[in-house]
Amino acid sequence: MNKLAVVLVVVALLAMGGTEGLAQREQVRIGISLPLTGPASASGKAAEAGYRLALDEINKAGGVLGRRLQIFIEDDGNLPAKGVPIFTKFVTVDRVHAITGIFGSAVGVSIVGPAKLHQPLIAMLGAASPLVERGFADYPYLFHYHPWAYHNMEAVFNFMDFVRTGTGASTIAILYEDGPFGSAGIGDTRAELIRRGFDVPFMESFKTGSGDFTALLSRAKRHPVDVLFWIGFDADALPIAVQSREVGFKPRLIFGTPASWPVGYEGNPVARDVAGMAGWTSASPLPASKEFVKKYQAKYGSLSEEYMAPMGFVTLTTLAAAMNKAGTTDKDRVAAELAKTDAETPVGRLRFKPSRLSPSVHQGFDSDLWMVFQFREGRRVPVWPKSMAAGPLAWRWR
Amino acid sequence: MMDLFLQTLANALIQSGTYALASAGLALAVGVLHIVNFAHGEFLMVGAFVAYWLSVLAGIDPIVSLVPAGAVMFAASGVIYQASIRRVLLAPELNALLLTFGIGITLQNLAVLVFGATPRVVHTAYQLTAVTLGPVSVGVAPLMTLVVSVTLLAGMYAVLYRTGIGKSIRAVAQNRTGAHLVGLDVDRIYLLTFGIASALAAIAGAMVLVRIGASPHMGFGFVLKAFAIIVMAGLGNLTGVLWASLVLATAEAFVRTYVPGGGGAAEAVFFLLIFFTLVWRSWRTA
Repeated sequence: MNKLAVVLVVVALLAMGGTEGLAQREQVRIGISLPLTGPASASGKAAEAGYRLALDEINKAGGVLGRRLQIFIEDDGNLPAKGVPIFTKFVTVDRVHAITGIFGSAVGVSIVGPAKLHQPLIAMLGAASPLVERGFADYPYLFHYHPWAYHNMEAVFNFMDFVRTGTGASTIAILYEDGPFGSAGIGDTRAELIRRGFDVPFMESFKTGSGDFTALLSRAKRHPVDVLFWIGFDADALPIAVQSREVGFKPRLIFGTPASWPVGYEGNPVARDVAGMAGWTSASPLPASKEFVKKYQAKYGSLSEEYMAPMGFVTLTTLAAAMNKAGTTDKDRVAAELAKTDAETPVGRLRFKPSRLSPSVHQGFDSDLWMVFQFREGRRVPVWPKSMAAGPLAWRWR
Repeated sequence: MMDLFLQTLANALIQSGTYALASAGLALAVGVLHIVNFAHGEFLMVGAFVAYWLSVLAGIDPIVSLVPAGAVMFAASGVIYQASIRRVLLAPELNALLLTFGIGITLQNLAVLVFGATPRVVHTAYQLTAVTLGPVSVGVAPLMTLVVSVTLLAGMYAVLYRTGIGKSIRAVAQNRTGAHLVGLDVDRIYLLTFGIASALAAIAGAMVLVRIGASPHMGFGFVLKAFAIIVMAGLGNLTGVLWASLVLATAEAFVRTYVPGGGGAAEAVFFLLIFFTLVWRSWRTA
C-alpha cells in the first residue's frame, strides 16, 4: 500500500512538472536585466516602462508566434555582482529565448564569460563602452542597440562643428568627472577638438557629487570661453549652472552630457538655454516618436523625457518582430531575421551593421541617434541636428 | 592673479559656512553623547527633502523651511534615539558606530525607494543672484548659508554657556555619572542634545538644497568632511568648528585653484587634514 502511495505521489509530481513545463513551453520568454535601484535607476525605470509598453502592444497584437510573450524583469542595480547571477538565472532557470536590458558597461563586461558559455541571443539596450564590444568579439548572437562611446563623442564633435559654423565659437572649457565615465578618452577628446580648430584653454577634472565648483569656474572665468562643455552626472547639473552665476562666469553656451537630468531642472530658470545631449526627447518631430508619446501617455498618464523609455520599447518590439518573422524561437533563425531589421523607430531608423571593433557584433544605432536640446520654457527643445530641430540654437547664454 | 587669489579666498569663506553648518550637529553629538553619528549625513538629506517637498507642494522658500525641516528631524531623531541610540550608549563605542552607520544606510535606501535616485532641484529668486565686490563675486544663497551658520553657532554657544540647560548639557558631557549623581536627568539631556544635533543637520540640508539639490546619496560626502572638521576642531569642540571649517574649505579651494588636476584631488584634502591633525596631536602629547 505504502509503495503504491509513493508511486502515485511520484507520478502526480511528474505530471505537475510536466504540465508546468508544457505551460512554460507555450510562452515565449525574454529576460530583462535593468538597474531598478541605485544611481542608474532613473534610466532603468524608464527602460522598464518602455519594455512594459511594448509588451502590452505585442500581446494585444497576438503575442509572439501566436503565443503570449512573457518577460522576466530583474534588478541588476548596475552591478556586475548582481548582473552575472541574473544572467545565469535567465539561461538556466527561466530558460528564456532571448536576453535584453543590460544598461551599464560594467554589467555588460561581466556577462561576457557566461554569455560565451551559454550562447544566448542578446539584444543589449545600453553598455556603451568599447570594452563590451571587444569582449564580445567573435560572438554571433549580440545585437547592440545603443551607440558605442566613440559614436557619442562623434556626435559631440559634430555638434561643436555646428556651433562653430553657426556662431563663430572657437574657445571651449572642459570640466569632466574623474571616474571612468568622464575621464575615459578625455585626452583624445581635447586633441580632436583642437584638431577641428577649437582652442581649449581650460580643462579640469572634478569629483561628481562634490557640489562645489566655485574654484574651477573661477579659473575658467579667466579665459574668454565661448562654450563650457561638461561631462558628468545629473547631480552636477545644478551646481554648475548655479555656481557659474555666482562667480560671474558667463560662457555663451553651457553644454552637458549627463545620462539623465535632475527632476525639476527643466522648469528652473537657471537651466534656461543650457544644452544637453539625448537619444530622444518627447518633442522629437519623428512620426514614430509622436506615436510612441501618445501610447506612453495613454498607458502611464504622464510623459517621460528619458531616452531609455523608447529604447526599451524599440528593443522589445524589434526582437518580437524578428521572432515572428523567423516563425520560430531558434536563436540562429531569429538572429538572421533581427540582422535584417530596417525599422523607423521613435529614436530614428534602426538597421544593424557589423560593429567597428568587433565585426561579428551587430551594431544598431550610431552617432545619428543623438540630438542636442536646450532647456526652454520648462521643456527640452531639440536644436540639433537640423532635421530634428524644433527651434534655433539659443546662443548668447545669460 | 590677485583677482583669482581674492576670489579663491571668497569661495573658501562661503563654502566654510556650509561645512560649519553641516558639522555643528556632529560636533555636539560627539561632545555630549560621545558617539560618532554616521547617519548625520542622512539626517541632512532628510532636511533637504523636507525643504524640497515644502517648496514643491506649498511654495515655501527653503530659507523658511529651515524651521520645519529642523522640527521634523528633531521629532524623528527622538524616535530614533528612543528606539536605538539609547540602547547602545553604555556599550563599546563600536556598537554605536555600527548602529548609526546602519541607520544611515537604511535612510538612504528608503529615500531611493520613495523618491528615486535622481536628484531633485528647486527654484528660488536669489538662486540667480550674486553680489559683486570689485573682482570678487559670490552667490547670495551661499552667503545666506554663511550667515545662518554663524548665527546658529553663536546661538548654540549662547545656549551652552549662558543658560541653565546649556550648563546641564555641559555637565553631562563632562561627566555622565557625576551629572546623574547631582540630580540631572541624563537620559533626557541626551535625548534633547541628539534632537538639536539632528535638527542642525536637517537645517544644513535645507540650506544646501538651493545650490546642489536633494538626492538620497547627498549626505555621505558631507559626513566625511564633517568628521574631518570635528577631528581638527577637537572632538566635541563646538567653537572650533568654525575655524576648522574655514581651514578645510580654504585648503580645498586652493588645491582646486592652484594644483593641476586639483578639481578631483580636492576631495582627498580632508583625508590629509585628518592625518596631519592626528599625527600633530600625537607628536605634541608625546
